[in-house]
Amino acid sequence: MMLELTVNGRVHSVEINPGEMLLDVLRRLGYKSVRRSCDNASCGNCTVLLDGKPILSCTTFAARATGHKIETVESLEKDGILHPIQESLLETGGAQCGFCIPGFALTAKALLEENPEPTEEEIREALNGNLCRCTGYESQIRAILNITHKRGGLSND
Amino acid sequence: MSFDVLMPESEDELLTLLMSENAKIMAGGTDILVRIRAGKIKPEKIISLSKVRGMDEIIDKGDRIYIGCKVTHSAALSSEILKEHSPIMLMALREIGSPQIRNRGTIVGNIVNASPAGDSIIPLYLSNARVVISGPKGEYKLPIEEFIKGPGKTALSIGEFVRAVEFEKSGSWYPLFYKVGQRTAMAIAIASIGLLVKDNNLRIAFGSVAPTVVRAYKAERYFERNNGNIAVMDEFIELCMEYISPIDDVRASAWYRKEVIKNLLRDTFNSLRKKVL
Ligand SMILES: Cc1cc2nc3c(=O)[nH]c(=O)nc-3n(C[C@H](O)[C@H](O)[C@H](O)COP(=O)(O)OP(=O)(O)OC[C@H]3O[C@@H](n4cnc5c(N)ncnc54)[C@H](O)[C@@H]3O)c2cc1C
Ligand code: FES
Ligand code: FES
Repeated sequence: MMLELTVNGRVHSVEINPGEMLLDVLRRLGYKSVRRSCDNASCGNCTVLLDGKPILSCTTFAARATGHKIETVESLEKDGILHPIQESLLETGGAQCGFCIPGFALTAKALLEENPEPTEEEIREALNGNLCRCTGYESQIRAILNITHKRGGLSND
Repeated sequence: MSFDVLMPESEDELLTLLMSENAKIMAGGTDILVRIRAGKIKPEKIISLSKVRGMDEIIDKGDRIYIGCKVTHSAALSSEILKEHSPIMLMALREIGSPQIRNRGTIVGNIVNASPAGDSIIPLYLSNARVVISGPKGEYKLPIEEFIKGPGKTALSIGEFVRAVEFEKSGSWYPLFYKVGQRTAMAIAIASIGLLVKDNNLRIAFGSVAPTVVRAYKAERYFERNNGNIAVMDEFIELCMEYISPIDDVRASAWYRKEVIKNLLRDTFNSLRKKVL
């Protein structure tokens, strides 16, 4: 069946089979930032934003996403300038191998849009579904805290 | 993994499709797709609710609240009606999975999945919920305790689906919800406990310690008989344990689950005594 998907503001017409997952279709369209690891709703690496809310593309039918706005991490960098979340992750060393980062960055973006000054506990809660094999999470949590401290005018420790 | 995905747009269309063989209904898909991936079920057709109009309402019905079958955990968490009238439900929903899971998973999906660990099922037991079933014979309601028959088993017949769930308001009760997991909220509970207290009345339910969520009615009556003073905590705990028949599984042993529940009960009542009793 033919499907229209709006990804990062761009409309794609794609041929899919009805049971295909959004993850497979996005990767086929070239959005390789959308990562597959568990393929079973457990790791968060395949997270994309659907109308601004994080969802798991490995277990969402592509057909379900028509008529909605999909965002992948490709949309975060604009004209060579990284998103504050990406900058902050670089500063704190929150990205090691980087595999989990697209899902992490999108989940964090949705959190900050909903709650611009989250507490450490709220950050941990929001990122609960994004697994990382490398960092032990501390540097990732700090990356988000640093952004909120900058916004709140607090010292950037 | 090959199946057809059907996307009905109206309730009539949905009811017609539900009569087809080897078809499974899907709301958020956070349970069913995981089970299909694991090869545990092999439906030929998946009937997705995503394009069905409506069914995502949360309605204040006086002394009850009505939640449509497309309401996600996230939508329920931001509902003013639930904030005011069912804090226990919000406490339980906050414990479910991760934001990604809460954005897609539904309360009705949680009920029909009928897991003894289903977090939203505990507040529903405590709030005397009724499951609203729609099918070829029209609509009818069943108490949730009759609807859930065992792990993964419900009273749903062929051609029927769950239209909504309805439950009592509990805004004037003091709510408590505890979940012991392995990896904080992402873990399915090893054991969980929910309760509502108001004056000398208590409602108490447990998750993950029996084939279904259970409500410990005898313990509730013991509490009432003693006017809220549980003179002998051990007796109260023994009455609760009558409802508990834990299993050994990959997450914990039966012995461990029993000990967890006993300790949870002691801690819970110690903190309750400080606050309300
Ligand atoms: C990583 C992960 C973490 C999780 N953590 C938790 C947790 O902490 N606590 C918890 O309780 N659960 C948890 N779950 C389980 C799951 O997310 C919940 O049970 C969720 O509420 C299911 O809702 P759904 O809409 O996604 O159901 P679906 O997967 O769409 O459906 C579940 C079942 O219900 C049936 N069904 C759905 N809607 C209807 C209807 N209207 N009428 C009839 N049948 C219907 C389906 O056929 C299927 O059998 C987790 C799942 C994952 C993958
Ligand atoms: S690949 Fe989707 S959650 Fe792991
Ligand atoms: S940085 Fe390697 S998995 Fe997170």
